[in-house]
Amino acid sequence: MVRRGRLPVRLVAATAFVGLLASASAAPGQAARPAAKPAAAAAAPAKPAAHLPGWNPDRNAYFGDLHVHTGLSFDAYIFNVRAMPDDAYRFAKGEPIGHAQGYSIRLAGGPLDFTAVTDHSEYMGAMREANDANRPLSKNPLVQGLFSPDPKAIGAAFAKIVTLNHAGQMPKEFSAPDVAGRAWSEVQEAARRHNDPGHFTTFVAYEYTSAPDGRNLHRNVIFRTDKVPALPYTAVVSNNPENLWKTMDAWRAKGVDVLAIPHNSNGSDGLMFEPTKRDGSPMDRAYAELRMRNEPLVEITQIKGTSEVHPSLAPNDEWANFEIMERYIGSNRQVTKFHGSYVREALKDGILMREQKGFNPFKMGFIGSSDTHNAAPGSVEERNYFSKVGRSDGTPELRASVPPDGAKTWPADTPDANHAASPYQAWGASGLAGVWAEENSREAIFQALRRKETFATSGPRIRVRFFAGYDFPDDLAKRPDLVRQAYAKGVPMGGDLKVSAGKPPKFLVWGVRDPNGGYLQRAQVVKGWIENGVAREQVFDVACSDKLPLNTKTWRCPDNGAGVNLATCEPDRFKGDVELRTVWTDPTFKPSQRAIYYVRVLENPSCRWSTWDALRNGTPPNPTLAKTLMERAWSSPIWYEPKG
Amino acid sequence: MSPRGDGPAAGPVGDTQPSHDSALRRSLRRIAAEPLVHFLIIGAVLFAGLSLAKSLERPVVRIDAQDLNQLAAYWELQMQRPPNKAELAGIINERIDEELLAREALRLGLDKGDMIIRRRLAQKMSFATDDVAAAREPTEAELRAFYARTASRYAAPARVSFQQVFFSGDRPNGGAAKAAAQALHRAEEGGRDAPTGDPFLFPLSYEDAPTADLLRDYGPAFVKLLETAPVGEWSGPVLSPYGWHLVRIEARRQPPAVAFEAVRDQVRDAYLADRRAASNAAFMAGLRKRYRVVVAGVPER
Repeated sequence: MVRRGRLPVRLVAATAFVGLLASASAAPGQAARPAAKPAAAAAAPAKPAAHLPGWNPDRNAYFGDLHVHTGLSFDAYIFNVRAMPDDAYRFAKGEPIGHAQGYSIRLAGGPLDFTAVTDHSEYMGAMREANDANRPLSKNPLVQGLFSPDPKAIGAAFAKIVTLNHAGQMPKEFSAPDVAGRAWSEVQEAARRHNDPGHFTTFVAYEYTSAPDGRNLHRNVIFRTDKVPALPYTAVVSNNPENLWKTMDAWRAKGVDVLAIPHNSNGSDGLMFEPTKRDGSPMDRAYAELRMRNEPLVEITQIKGTSEVHPSLAPNDEWANFEIMERYIGSNRQVTKFHGSYVREALKDGILMREQKGFNPFKMGFIGSSDTHNAAPGSVEERNYFSKVGRSDGTPELRASVPPDGAKTWPADTPDANHAASPYQAWGASGLAGVWAEENSREAIFQALRRKETFATSGPRIRVRFFAGYDFPDDLAKRPDLVRQAYAKGVPMGGDLKVSAGKPPKFLVWGVRDPNGGYLQRAQVVKGWIENGVAREQVFDVACSDKLPLNTKTWRCPDNGAGVNLATCEPDRFKGDVELRTVWTDPTFKPSQRAIYYVRVLENPSCRWSTWDALRNGTPPNPTLAKTLMERAWSSPIWYEPKG
Repeated sequence: MSPRGDGPAAGPVGDTQPSHDSALRRSLRRIAAEPLVHFLIIGAVLFAGLSLAKSLERPVVRIDAQDLNQLAAYWELQMQRPPNKAELAGIINERIDEELLAREALRLGLDKGDMIIRRRLAQKMSFATDDVAAAREPTEAELRAFYARTASRYAAPARVSFQQVFFSGDRPNGGAAKAAAQALHRAEEGGRDAPTGDPFLFPLSYEDAPTADLLRDYGPAFVKLLETAPVGEWSGPVLSPYGWHLVRIEARRQPPAVAFEAVRDQVRDAYLADRRAASNAAFMAGLRKRYRVVVAGVPER
């Protein structure tokens, strides 16, 4: 997948080398990957031999999942998931695997480009051993009768372990180094076996599962290479993330590079982006640097809800109410503090702190990921959704998308998504990570994560590019080499705009549809800025589909009228665009105001997973749930700093 | 059980009483002295006593420690703290009410003919049989034989190198198709420059790309053209999810079929899934043999 120059001499050289390649590959026993590098290096010196097939100086979009649980996670094992890291990688590569419920599952949208298996480091591998009569853990009184295929018994077993864990009363044997060590080796071995540079990238990783008083502070910890510590640093040792970051610093000093990605701030009840350190003391520059050195990214969407923005925090954002989950993680307790739980607010708080205190602890790029507990990376396709916790929600009835007990209609007292009896219907088929990297390798993708040249989607493989600069030509969006110019004259998503000499910045915004998904409806720029010591925000539509005129007073596109036939889930034909591409200038820009900008691209409405389940079952959709949704992609922000 | 000291030998001696009632008395005495009568009377008394005792003794509803722990754990998970004394009493009372109502319902036969209960029982049974069917690890020979039967599932995708020119589907009034056709015409006329089109977010040149990835990113029509177009010429236009494309193939190759060793795990999974389905079917067939199934309007087999 190489974008070559257009010089005829290079074309000739390339054609010659391809001819060589074709004849060479006819020989039996030829390796699957072409041995093209020496020939290419000789014929086209512009392309160094070290590059993998697919290398592209303008960078390719790669899609992946950096939040994946297998049967090595204590909860997944209790949910009857027996698939292991090996199975997760096979699923990511497009192969079918078995679901805990007994059926076969497979990605409809084709293979992913990269994946990290992130099993809970707490009690990693312990439940599998507890269910193996040959292991001493199986004799522990705690696990007698713990494993059952019955959803009710599963719920009880999960509750038992989570409660003991929260109370700090899990027996030590479940964290024994030999138990964890066996699982951790398996994680590393599967990542090593499936890493295929140029085609599919794996990362050794795990989830640090801290939740003080049930308030979610979970992080996924992703290692750059296969050089990793002997055991993960777990929340059993300390549930203060600051101690995790200090440990990561220590690893890095020994040559083990690593980053952490927090998730489900929506279930933290204000804790994830609280304005103080975890111990209540005020933040300082050293803290902000420690945090940002270790956490350049945040997972803003996943199956357990989307954490971009809560409707109550953004009354002027008509699209804020997207797959919102207002409960604690793994329990039915209601979240009361939305501030501190959502990412847009945190970005604004961050630049406000930068303005008032000189440091920013919340300077984060975006990814999405699934948090599947079925060892099924990328299983966030509305039409091909089997939820995420094994046998607990493995059927439409269990996730309340079809009426209970085979009925054909819904009872009048159907519980809504906030009811304790129906925790799974509020979950969304959402969360994919996108990166812009030169090639599909651990090194290139890790670098992209590190520099925040990343984006998130609600599941579809929508590609989004975002650049900012002062000197873009007006016709940039129409030029064939627009990406090359945008890199040369501006900064990509995740970057910092240098100080303005007075000119407002221009933004290149480019979204392209998922080839298997719907058409795009509008592209938006979300701006947050500091004005007179107060953080403010505005959502600007910047590109409209269907050649509709953008109203630059309200900054809204007219409704394109796209709808969905709920009897078939077929969208309206001839509405929406393949791509939305524009250069936008911020009309409210003030050179002295700190600001952040990110892109949100919206698809036409389409059926939610629960509507697909109902359609297949021949029953009406659950009346308490949204029938359609607007899939979307979010770019990482670009930051503007008034003084160096 | 026959009481002693009241036997026939203890009867009155001599004719000291008037004869008309002495005969009756005698026969009564004889009856009362019969061990069988004693047995019957005592038995009746005991039976009445035990029945009375039984009617006074009540069935037991027992909530054991494991039940209590589970109830408390559920509550704690929801509320994020342990229940206090009053709350615990409330939880227990609720559980007892549920148990009593359920027992009474069973006593009155309310479970008969209830669809929900039937489904739940069937589900529990299928959980149980699923576990029984937890499969034996297949032998190497079994796996290889299975692979030989299903090898086509494991074919490696073809690879292709090509250049492309793109005409956006967003051009109004089908303009993309027309522009693509014109560009192709110019190229066929022997234009020296490569044709040009619209900006495209994807690479305009691919090298040894797996067709599986291209199928994912461009759809089947595009890949079909890549598989059939002549090498070294511009071909198309072909419609993708994005618009119209001209392509020029530079090379194609077909990697050899994937060896058994490389897909051993997949073969094993497929094999186990196969056997699990077969064992479930066999279990159901066995059940059908154990019952006579009569369906209204359907002749019995």
